[in-house]
Amino acid sequence: MERFTYVRAQDVQQAVALLNEPGLRSRVLAGGTDLMLLARQDRHLCDRVVDISLIPELHRIAREDGLVTIGAAASFSEVLESPIVRDTAPVLSEACAQVGAVQVRNMGTIGGNVANAAACADSLPALVCLDAAARVQTPAGSQEWPVSELVLRPNRTQIPDGGLLLSFSYRVPHPEARSVFLKLGRRNAMAISRLTVAALGHLDGQGRIAEARLVPGAATPQIRRFTAVEDMLVGQQPDAGLWQEAGRLAASEMVRISGRRWSSEYKEPALAALVARALSTVFASTTSLQGADR
Amino acid sequence: MKIAFELNGSPVSVDAPADISLLQLLRDHLHLTGTKEGCGVGECGACSVLLDGRLVNSCLTLAPQAGGRHVTTIEGIRGPGGGPDDLQEAFIDYGAVQCGFCTPGMVLAGEALLAAHPRPTRRQIREAIAGNLCRCTGYQQIVDAIEATASKRSEAKIHG
Repeated sequence: MERFTYVRAQDVQQAVALLNEPGLRSRVLAGGTDLMLLARQDRHLCDRVVDISLIPELHRIAREDGLVTIGAAASFSEVLESPIVRDTAPVLSEACAQVGAVQVRNMGTIGGNVANAAACADSLPALVCLDAAARVQTPAGSQEWPVSELVLRPNRTQIPDGGLLLSFSYRVPHPEARSVFLKLGRRNAMAISRLTVAALGHLDGQGRIAEARLVPGAATPQIRRFTAVEDMLVGQQPDAGLWQEAGRLAASEMVRISGRRWSSEYKEPALAALVARALSTVFASTTSLQGADR
Repeated sequence: MKIAFELNGSPVSVDAPADISLLQLLRDHLHLTGTKEGCGVGECGACSVLLDGRLVNSCLTLAPQAGGRHVTTIEGIRGPGGGPDDLQEAFIDYGAVQCGFCTPGMVLAGEALLAAHPRPTRRQIREAIAGNLCRCTGYQQIVDAIEATASKRSEAKIHG
C-alpha cells in the first residue's frame, strides 16, 4: 500500500494549484534529501508529494541591474557553480560548498534548506548576511519576506500551508566588499554544522570600516545579523584587538539571545574565535584572501 | 505507478509504488543489486548512482523522480569489451577493493569526478569521494586508483 502518491508539476502555477487541492495533504518535493528522511520516520507524512524539482523557472539564477535572484529549486551545486553568485556573493558559494558531500549538494536545494530551516542550515546565515528576501507564492498571490524574518526558529517558517517558496533575491554588495563563510563541524565532509559565521564588509577611503555584516549560524534560534557587533565595528580601524573584542561581544550576544545552554561553554569561545577569524579575513589589507581560510 | 526512464542507456518501464526510493526500485524491482544499501539515510554513499550525469544518493531519491531521466548504475560502467573499464581495473590494480561494499558507489563517484574534471588534484579527489565511506582501505588506494586513471585517460587523449 502506497503511503503517498507522486505528481510532477510542470510550472509554478500548476504546483501551487496541486499543493492547494482540497481534501489532500500535499507536500513539496524538491531535492528529497530532507523529505526522504522525514518519510522514513513518519508513515503518515502526507497524502501526496508534488515534485517541483524540474520546473525550469525555479532553477534560474539571474542578475538584473543590482539584484541577483536565485530560484528556490536550484541545487547547492547549481548555486556554488554559478558565476553570478561567485562574483557577487562568495559567502553564499562558500556556504553551499560546505553542505554535506557531492551527492547531497547535487540533490539538496537552497529553497529546501530554508523551508525546512534546520538549526544547522548552512545557506541560511549566508542569505541573511546578504539581506536576502524570499518570495513565496500562494493561490492569493505572491508575498516577500526578509529571510531573517521568514525563518522564525529551527524547523519553523512563516511560509503558509500550500505556499511555495519561489526564489531568493539580494542586492549586489558594495564593489569593494569581501565576504567569508566559516563552518565548524566535527569533520570536513558531511558534518552537521556546530557553528557557522557569515561575514561581509568593506573599508572606506581612510581605511576605516564602512560596513560590517555578521551572522552566526546554529547559535541563535532565529538567524539574524548581530547588529550590536556590527555597530561596534563601523568607523573603526581594522586591528587584531578589534576582532577579539568583536568575538567576545558576539559570544555574549549569543548567550543573551539564546540563554545559557549545555553547549554554551563550548560555543562561547568557539564563536568568539570564529568571528575574530572571519573579520580578520574580510578586512585583511591584502586583496588575495578570498576563501583563504578554507 | 508507471515509472519510465533510461537505465544504463536502455529504456525501462516499471510498475512500482510511488513512495519507494530509487534504490529500492533498482534493487527490488529491477533486480540490479550492484547498487548497495549501506545506511539508507544519505550518509555513506554506497547507493550512489548518476542521475542525468550527476552523482546522487539513490536512497534519498524518490523513485518517480527518475521518471523521464537518465540513470547510470554500476552495471552501466563497463569497458569496450564488456568487462571492467579502466577505472575499475585501476581499483583492482591498486588494491582499492577489500570487502567491496563501497566499491560501486566509489567507482561512480570517481567516474562523475573524471567526467567533470579530467585532471583532478588529490584534494579534489578526496573532496569528490567525501560522501562515500569505506571501512576497509583507508581511502589511500582509492585516491591512487582514481588519480592513476585520470593520468592514463589524459595521456591517451594526448597521444591517441
